[in-house]
Amino acid sequence: MTEQELLEAAAKAVVAADEDEAKAIATEAVKLGLDPLKVINEGFTPGMRDVGDLFERGTMFLPEVILASEAMVAAVAILEDSLPEDQKEKKAGTAVIGTIEGDVHDIGKGIVATLMRVYGFDVVDLGRDVPLDTFVEKVKETGAAIVGTSALMTTTMVGQKALEKMLKEAGIRDQVKTMVGGAVVTQYWADKIGADAYAENAQEAVQKALELVQG
Amino acid sequence: MTPKERVLAALAGLPVDRAPVLSANQTATYGQMDVSGAEWPEAHQKAEPMAKLALAAHSVLGFDAVRAPYCQTIESEALGCTVKYAGREGIPRIDVHAFKIGDEIALPEDFLTRGRVPELIEAVRLMKEAVGDGVAVMGNIVGPFSIVANLIGITDALKASFKRPDSLIPLMEVAEQAGTMLGKALVEAGADILVIEDMMASIDVISPPIYRNLAQPYEAKQIANLPDVPTIMHICGKLNPIMAEVAETGTTAISVEPSVDAVAAKEVLRGFPRYVALIGGVDAVVTLFSGTPEDVKNDVRKALADGYDIIAPGCSVPPSAELENLRAMVEAAEEAAV
Repeated sequence: MTEQELLEAAAKAVVAADEDEAKAIATEAVKLGLDPLKVINEGFTPGMRDVGDLFERGTMFLPEVILASEAMVAAVAILEDSLPEDQKEKKAGTAVIGTIEGDVHDIGKGIVATLMRVYGFDVVDLGRDVPLDTFVEKVKETGAAIVGTSALMTTTMVGQKALEKMLKEAGIRDQVKTMVGGAVVTQYWADKIGADAYAENAQEAVQKALELVQG
Repeated sequence: MTPKERVLAALAGLPVDRAPVLSANQTATYGQMDVSGAEWPEAHQKAEPMAKLALAAHSVLGFDAVRAPYCQTIESEALGCTVKYAGREGIPRIDVHAFKIGDEIALPEDFLTRGRVPELIEAVRLMKEAVGDGVAVMGNIVGPFSIVANLIGITDALKASFKRPDSLIPLMEVAEQAGTMLGKALVEAGADILVIEDMMASIDVISPPIYRNLAQPYEAKQIANLPDVPTIMHICGKLNPIMAEVAETGTTAISVEPSVDAVAAKEVLRGFPRYVALIGGVDAVVTLFSGTPEDVKNDVRKALADGYDIIAPGCSVPPSAELENLRAMVEAAEEAAV
């Protein structure tokens, strides 16, 4: 397999949501001595972008997107392991993300976490049903550049507003950018509560996160 | 017409004095709690406050139907999941998923006496006792695929639905049996209509082929097994690509979100030999939660023009929605009839 063929196969494996194939390609790339970062950036990442596009167009659905992002994560882990310590990519920043307490569904948030990792963020994924205090503590502890919260119901959406206040009270609101998303959340709501960014979907979330850290 | 006559006529496609107004999904609000004196979490747990709060949909809002419960965890809890409450403000959620794919599972014989199942049945009996034949009484059950998502967790359910749908069959079987057993008991207790909430069967979540091959057959089986009362199938998301398959479950009516193209949906439903009613038209978040009564009325007017048979929020009513916004749904339906 030439390098070009391998890069194309990497993208295809992600789009096919085929974790075994994605891992095999990553392993093959390491064996061939290819540049791991190039394989991530020019092979697997374009595959994940295609997944995002296909999802947006309604030709790919959530179950495949979850499996595709798992394939991506597994392949990237193999490639990153092969990087010498001094070559590990400079991180875009740390992001703390989670679903507000009361909400137990976190599929969308999981995909955002995966994509943010792909784009170089150190992601602290707090999972689902996360108490507001935990977000504040984690931001303090990690010095995160971004805190992202997801809310799927109007009853939990109010938690995003409360978090803005809690970050202010903790004296760290000006050190961290807040991002909000989730089924019921809108740009209107983000503006109303004073969040720094709202994203409609995972692709947009990554774009906005990059804009926020690059200032 | 009495509210119940109005609802039943609209479900059958017969003439009505005005479009009925109801909510197929969670209807309680803090405003109704203030007026009725029945509040969460008690109204999630005990028959009496559950019924009292449900009745507020008619006595406080003027809706043509009353309904219970307020969450989608009752069957799953009775099957073994643990549930976490959220005080007066919120709805119970699954804390611990009781099963993994591959686990042995069977419907417990004492299912109807487990968890909050007896409370829900008793609440429906109390609701019927209170309204008699004046107002439609609706009992809600959760659709098979959505129960499975609760039992094993949505992520595992989705992955399996794509990779190994057969592995979900034993869970789907029991989920269908549980909902059906509860539905029968609710009809015996006095429910005039059964609502099946299968929000996870949405094609915002699964693909049309997975809906067709996995979720839909169990919805159809459930409807075939339920007693002969009108049924309302509620599925979230833009349902247009699967509208015909939803109708093929045998459901009397379909409750949808405003993201659905209602005109196109009605067109599909008119192709069926029997009448299939369309329910919805009011945006639960943008309009009921963030909008004004005039915004609500605009939604209702558009919904009626688009051909909705029954006016309802497209999804669960946000508990902080203002009473005046909910009442505006009824006012707009009345104004349109004049």
